[in-house]
Amino acid sequence: MNLMVNGESLEHNGDGSVGVLLAELGAAPDHSALTVNGDLVFSKNWKTHTLNDGDTVEVLTFVGGG
Amino acid sequence: MKSKIANRQSSIVDLPSWLDPSPWLGKKFSARDVEQALGAESPNEDTLAALLSPAAADFLEPMAARAQALTRRHFGRTVQLYVPLYLSSYCPGGCAYCGFASDRDTERHKLSFEQVETELAALKKMGLEEILLLTGERTPQADFEYVLKCVELAAKHFHKVTIEVFPMSGKEYGQLAEAGCTGVTLYQETYHPDVYPEMHRWGPKSNMLERIKAPGRALAGGLRMAGLGTLLGLSDPLFDLIALYRHVRHLQKTRWQAGLSVSFPRIQNEAGGFLAPHPVSEKQLAQIVFAFRICLSDVPLVLSTRESAAFRDGMAGLGCNKMSVASKTTVGGYGDEGSEEGQFDVNDNRGVDEFCAMLRARELEPVFKNWDEVYR
Amino acid sequence: MKLETGNLKLGSHEFGSRLILGTGKFSNTETMIRAIEASGTELVTVALRRFNREKPDDDLCAPLAKLKNVTLMPNTSGAMNAKEAVRAAQLGRELSGSPFVKVEIHPNPHHLMPDAIETYIAAKELAADGFIVLPYIPADPVLAKKLEDVGCAAVMPLGAAIGSGGGLSTADMIQLIIRDSNIPVIVDAGLRAPSEAARAMEMGCDACLVNSAIAAATDPAAMAKAFALGVETGFAARNAGLMPKSEVAVASSPLTSFLG
Repeated sequence: MNLMVNGESLEHNGDGSVGVLLAELGAAPDHSALTVNGDLVFSKNWKTHTLNDGDTVEVLTFVGGG
Repeated sequence: MKSKIANRQSSIVDLPSWLDPSPWLGKKFSARDVEQALGAESPNEDTLAALLSPAAADFLEPMAARAQALTRRHFGRTVQLYVPLYLSSYCPGGCAYCGFASDRDTERHKLSFEQVETELAALKKMGLEEILLLTGERTPQADFEYVLKCVELAAKHFHKVTIEVFPMSGKEYGQLAEAGCTGVTLYQETYHPDVYPEMHRWGPKSNMLERIKAPGRALAGGLRMAGLGTLLGLSDPLFDLIALYRHVRHLQKTRWQAGLSVSFPRIQNEAGGFLAPHPVSEKQLAQIVFAFRICLSDVPLVLSTRESAAFRDGMAGLGCNKMSVASKTTVGGYGDEGSEEGQFDVNDNRGVDEFCAMLRARELEPVFKNWDEVYR
Repeated sequence: MKLETGNLKLGSHEFGSRLILGTGKFSNTETMIRAIEASGTELVTVALRRFNREKPDDDLCAPLAKLKNVTLMPNTSGAMNAKEAVRAAQLGRELSGSPFVKVEIHPNPHHLMPDAIETYIAAKELAADGFIVLPYIPADPVLAKKLEDVGCAAVMPLGAAIGSGGGLSTADMIQLIIRDSNIPVIVDAGLRAPSEAARAMEMGCDACLVNSAIAAATDPAAMAKAFALGVETGFAARNAGLMPKSEVAVASSPLTSFLG
């Protein structure tokens, strides 16, 4: 499927699960927050959430800030 | 969390912990403590206690100078003027010290609305803009509806209408605000849980905690200003003054949009012959006003015509920045001849013009009106 | 001014340290971690950004997770208005597991001054949603009371613009905030030197938040420790009761002669 991830187009060959996408990106699930098409997807719902072709995904983590 | 007063037998009332002055009683202050208190940048109860202490009596001149400097900083060289109008002397109350108590053999009077209009016109002609309407405790002859109507009448002519009547509900306060009332004056008289019941023997005013809560309720109900005070002479002044300070600080923090003021009524002679158990001298009163100016630098401090002309002249601008003028404590008395007996004797009988001339001679500007309430 | 000794209380949480650290602008993660450890802080702010697979070292989550006794407080920097700040806060809570949020909305990326109006709107919504809200604000006493009214756990007035090192330029305003506040007052932004942090604490502030002054120091870990000492010193001094400045004016002619 084709996803827009963090502003960049990504050709993703996963099963539509969040876990597989994060693994491909190298992002630790514990250290990631996710929005799909503008909506926050809580981590407790990742097991049941399905990503679809054309989704816009933001994967966020903590960085330094004041 | 409530705290009990030390060394006291069981009392009917526990003062709330935000009010209780007992931690600051019984301390001894030295001259050095007073000097430090004089320069305090963030005053607190300890500062006030030091400035009220016997040691501070030797520091009246520097206290006056600091009080004057702070008054000029926050209020400029001005003194605000207001006048009281007693609407009714009917009272069911049992205040031991008051000429209008229900067991006193005094003729009762009440202004009809027509008479109120006459009085208001006379006062307006004197140039006054702020009026304080007074009654006794709630009574059928002078009930809420009566006060409300008088407020409505006064609000048509005076830019600022305040009341000194009986504690009422938040809803009633809200109605008064709608009618044009700006504020309420309500003296606790004394904050001492043992003395209060002795002095307020019957009637609704015997409920001490209700009275303490009332100013906060008035501000929550929609009134913008509250004037607090303690009747000096009833009880140990240090107890009452620290409690009064804490009451003001509590309202500054919980009703932060309110305009607060503090008065220092001192028991004077009245026809019934009540003698103050803890009399406060003029010098002590001066010390008290200076101390409060230093500790509450931006809160208006008020002296009434209970005090002598010479004292008021001296204190104008030295901490005190608001005064009543040309007052009568009889029911009415400005337009028509008032009732025979007043609530207390007035000691400064000067008219508005004479009083203002005195202020100007001392380079103080009399202020009748702060701002118009046209936006409300 | 009530003397608060003991722990810093924010919402239902208590902190032994009254120095809060920001984690931005450090040269690298290792330096940042050493500074945090040296400071003894128990609360640090972090920002939310997109995960960058090219720069895995930017990810602070792993190193921060190793710190003992440190709570994360996500900030909403990057948000331009209340709506974005609320979203950022929700994402931050999701990631950190902590209810703390620093509401920080600065629409102008040059001077980075906080937007009082958007901050109020966001803070109100977030407080109602159970966050422990610490809003970063101009040193405005009225705004501070309004934020207290809507349930903020503290207010964080700026000492000077972020990164300016302007010190306590808003000291008089902060005094007014402290005087009538029922919640902790934390100076955030502008502190350049530990002496300024000490002065803030002596004035009555409940804590200091420091970032740039530590990150940009020659030796950040040492500076972090110095700031910790500064905050402790100022706090101890205030509790010890500072001798007041002498402000005894003497009039040329006596004011009280009328008293006899």
